[in-house]
Amino acid sequence: MRRPLAPRILAYSVLVLGAIVVAFPLLFALSYSFMTPSEVATYPPPILPSSPNFDNYGTVFATIPIGRYLLNSFVVSAAVVVGQLATASLAAYAFSFLVFRFRTLLFFVFLSTLMIPWEATIIPNYITIRTLGWLDTYQGLAVPFMATAFGTFLLRQAFLQIPRELWDSARIDGASSLRFFRSMVLPLARPALGTVAIYGFLSTYNQYFWPLLITNERLMRTTQVGIAQLRDEETLRWGLIMAGVVMVAVPTLALLVLGQRQLIRGLTAGAVKG
Amino acid sequence: MRFTRRDARELGVGLAYLAPSLILFVAFVFYPLARTFILSLYNTRTTGVPTTFAGADQYTELLSSPTFRDGIVATTFFALYTVPVSIAVSLILAVMLNQRLRGINVFRTMMSSTIAVSAAVGSLIWLLLFNPSLGLLNYVLSLVGVRGPDWLTQPGAAIIAVSITSVWLLLGTNIIVLLAGLQGVPEEIYEAARLDGARGLRLFLRITVPLVSPSLFFLLVVDTINVLQSFTQIHVMTKGGPVDATRTLVYSIYLDAFQNFQFGFASAQAVVLFGIVLALTALQFGVIERRVHYQ
Amino acid sequence: MRRLTTLAFAFMFVAAACGGGGGTSGGTTPSGGGDMSALAPGKDVKPAAKITWWHAMSGVNGDALNKIVDGFNKSGKGITVEAVFQGTYDDLLAKLNTAIASNAAPALVQVYDIGQVYMRDSSQIVPMQAFIDRDKFDTKDFEPAVINYYKYQDKLYSMPFNASSAILYYNKDAFKEVGLDPNKPPQTFTEIADAAKKLTKKDASGKTVRYGFGPSIYGWLYEQMMATSGVQYADNGNGRDNKATKVNWDSAESKAILNWWKAGIDGGYFFNPGQDNNGAANAFDSQLSAMYIESTARLRGHINAGGTKFEIGTGLYPRPDNKPANGGNIIGGASLYVMKSRPAEEQQAAWEFIKYAMSAPVQAQWQSDTGYYPIVKSAYDQGPSKEWSTKYPQFNTAIDEIRNSPQNRATNGAVLGVMPQARARTQKMIETVLLGQASVDAATKAAVDEINAAIDKYNKANP
Repeated sequence: MRRPLAPRILAYSVLVLGAIVVAFPLLFALSYSFMTPSEVATYPPPILPSSPNFDNYGTVFATIPIGRYLLNSFVVSAAVVVGQLATASLAAYAFSFLVFRFRTLLFFVFLSTLMIPWEATIIPNYITIRTLGWLDTYQGLAVPFMATAFGTFLLRQAFLQIPRELWDSARIDGASSLRFFRSMVLPLARPALGTVAIYGFLSTYNQYFWPLLITNERLMRTTQVGIAQLRDEETLRWGLIMAGVVMVAVPTLALLVLGQRQLIRGLTAGAVKG
Repeated sequence: MRFTRRDARELGVGLAYLAPSLILFVAFVFYPLARTFILSLYNTRTTGVPTTFAGADQYTELLSSPTFRDGIVATTFFALYTVPVSIAVSLILAVMLNQRLRGINVFRTMMSSTIAVSAAVGSLIWLLLFNPSLGLLNYVLSLVGVRGPDWLTQPGAAIIAVSITSVWLLLGTNIIVLLAGLQGVPEEIYEAARLDGARGLRLFLRITVPLVSPSLFFLLVVDTINVLQSFTQIHVMTKGGPVDATRTLVYSIYLDAFQNFQFGFASAQAVVLFGIVLALTALQFGVIERRVHYQ
Repeated sequence: MRRLTTLAFAFMFVAAACGGGGGTSGGTTPSGGGDMSALAPGKDVKPAAKITWWHAMSGVNGDALNKIVDGFNKSGKGITVEAVFQGTYDDLLAKLNTAIASNAAPALVQVYDIGQVYMRDSSQIVPMQAFIDRDKFDTKDFEPAVINYYKYQDKLYSMPFNASSAILYYNKDAFKEVGLDPNKPPQTFTEIADAAKKLTKKDASGKTVRYGFGPSIYGWLYEQMMATSGVQYADNGNGRDNKATKVNWDSAESKAILNWWKAGIDGGYFFNPGQDNNGAANAFDSQLSAMYIESTARLRGHINAGGTKFEIGTGLYPRPDNKPANGGNIIGGASLYVMKSRPAEEQQAAWEFIKYAMSAPVQAQWQSDTGYYPIVKSAYDQGPSKEWSTKYPQFNTAIDEIRNSPQNRATNGAVLGVMPQARARTQKMIETVLLGQASVDAATKAAVDEINAAIDKYNKANP
């Protein structure tokens, strides 16, 4: 049945408006990245560049080894995602399907880690990493973040949505809990796993203070620290910073586009309803 | 209740699954926290080395200081402005995005794009927009006849500015989670409700919201924790000002540790903040989770 | 017997807790006015082949810094300096603090002006005086104002590297437009207020499109105004004769500054960019404000940004109407520290680099590339420096200002262990007044009480 036209137009207009409102800061960043320094400093402020040029982008390349930074960020983020998926899915499984004493207490212990302000742990952590000899290494950047209470929580919620009947019938069939976990739970929870992966990747990619603290060697730095380098102590060049911002955000935005498709596919491939 | 052998075995199995996470948590969360707690009981040199035992002194000093009270106020307002607004806006947008329209993926990508933006980057962009000297946002507002406030230089407006930035940053995550939640609702339920005559707002409130309440609850807990620990936005945009209006508890810890080099005192604040967040989350689980509808 | 054991344990515990960082040489604060050579490595220690230098310069200034490092590395001394950018001054200091706590500090560090006391009290540095005494290094050529800023009890603990001062920037075209003499910038508080009133421009709807004067709320600017008013920021010779115990922000001169500033905001002819220094600079470039005060190190940036749109003028920093004779400006910027925890060979290498960086040709090029002052006077005779002065005569204001400032405790600037906190507190104090949240008397009293308590706590923890 064809949907009537008028509501469709309305729906699209609302969507376009919503998209603009959400995305306009990024669009501004894009616009400013093409402006020259003297143009940025005019009042009233310009919205679009009068003679757009790629100068700022060139200067970013000349100022910082951005290719290397992107590589570092990607490697560390990927490592963290793998670690998080493994640790969080195992833990969430225990919290949703297994029965054991102190389960609620342990779940709360997990959650409590979310509430510990990072300033409370950062200095002792720095010393630990240094003692292990992990300064300026990928391990040092990744390992502390390979467990995630956020991911465990999210996966637990997802696992709890899986019908108990599946579990019961698997038990009757004599399947071990590990087998059930691998063959039934994980596939059914793919969207949630996808979300944990995306979230883990992006939050690691976007870290600033920890990489700043444990990497002294220029080539081991990550993108966020690299962008900060564009902020002068004495002068602020908005056009240049926006160019850096765009360059750093584009890979993750691209990833998001790909991730979106995967998510939708996971959802419609006969997932949750079982 | 006695602890039987079966209990022990089941606990063993459970712990085996939890072990990888637990080991990492102990090493990088609980052990440092303990060290920090110990540090909060000492006066410290600027290098962080403990000197004299202070016992509860730093705590009493903290709880009686007006800066701490201001910090609680700032944190509360910040959380109240940010969390409900972000979840509400995200829900509306997610519902809009949950339609089967051609090209809907483009819109989904655009609206969840803020998840790809780091707090540092987002704060820089919004700093550009709120900047009193460049006046970008106010200029755009003036084009539609609205006179924008002095965003970052007036205390009331500054909290709102940081809040807006945080709401914006959270949109991506919230929309993705809510969209996944919405898509988990079977179409049959909607059809059945529509057959019963439910439309529009009623459909939304009676059917959609309860069915997506696990996701809403999840976001409530997670966003609150996130906001209570937000640092980057404040550091980039206001540095706790003006007049400490945005000096939340977390930012205060940072200032005392890394600007004033009073690690013992900062550690005491970290412990207190931890307590507050813990209590708040326990409250949320105790009071609100009961109303969450699991299928 | 038990009592003795407990006492012994307690004593050991306290002694261990008071241990602090390790190190090869003794303490850094000698009791007498004696020669410090013993603190430096022996004269014949061979310098290390490679050392690391942490700094906070990026952009144009960072490029200039790298130029110096390249020049040194190629100069045939057999030493390679690796310059590593570590973020803003605040980030760098936080990072250094953590590094010290885990014994990972580099050989050479650039720390900002107000980090002096922290560095001294950390017991982690080799005082520059040690090298100077050992080699009988001649410091007569050094700019007195700059050197005096970094001395404590007449000893130099670090080597100044980038020195700036504060001046008035003004828009000459705007001056001409409203009938003010573009070659005679206002110098006193009242003159600035009067000029600002004339320069403020509103459009048809009553919205201000140009403010006369737009200073950012920056503690450093307040410190400078205390200095031009001829008063000390803190007691005990501004903390230079002995550790300071209290601050002087409730003096009549300080209140006069605040009242003047508040009148400007209330009257609508001063612009308030908040605590955002870059914002204030941007406002000047975009001609939203016709005058403002900031560091000389911004001159190059302004010329690049606004130079083609309007003519930039520089003038002396504002002072009270009675132009006190003992008033003058304080040096800002940062200095270089040699860290004690590194082996003697690295300390030696660091000193070699410092000597190179202080040579006249290098300093002249540094000045011309950035806008900072040369640390040595003979640099002014060098080519690049002369070129810079001819091309940008605005810079000469800064030089004259420093040369003509009397050298006394007020103009030497304050040193406090809690200086970063104090600076932040003055900013809050100014904000409170400008926003009308408290009277000048109440705001200054609250700030003074709070910081005096903090100083007290610091002095007790760092005897």
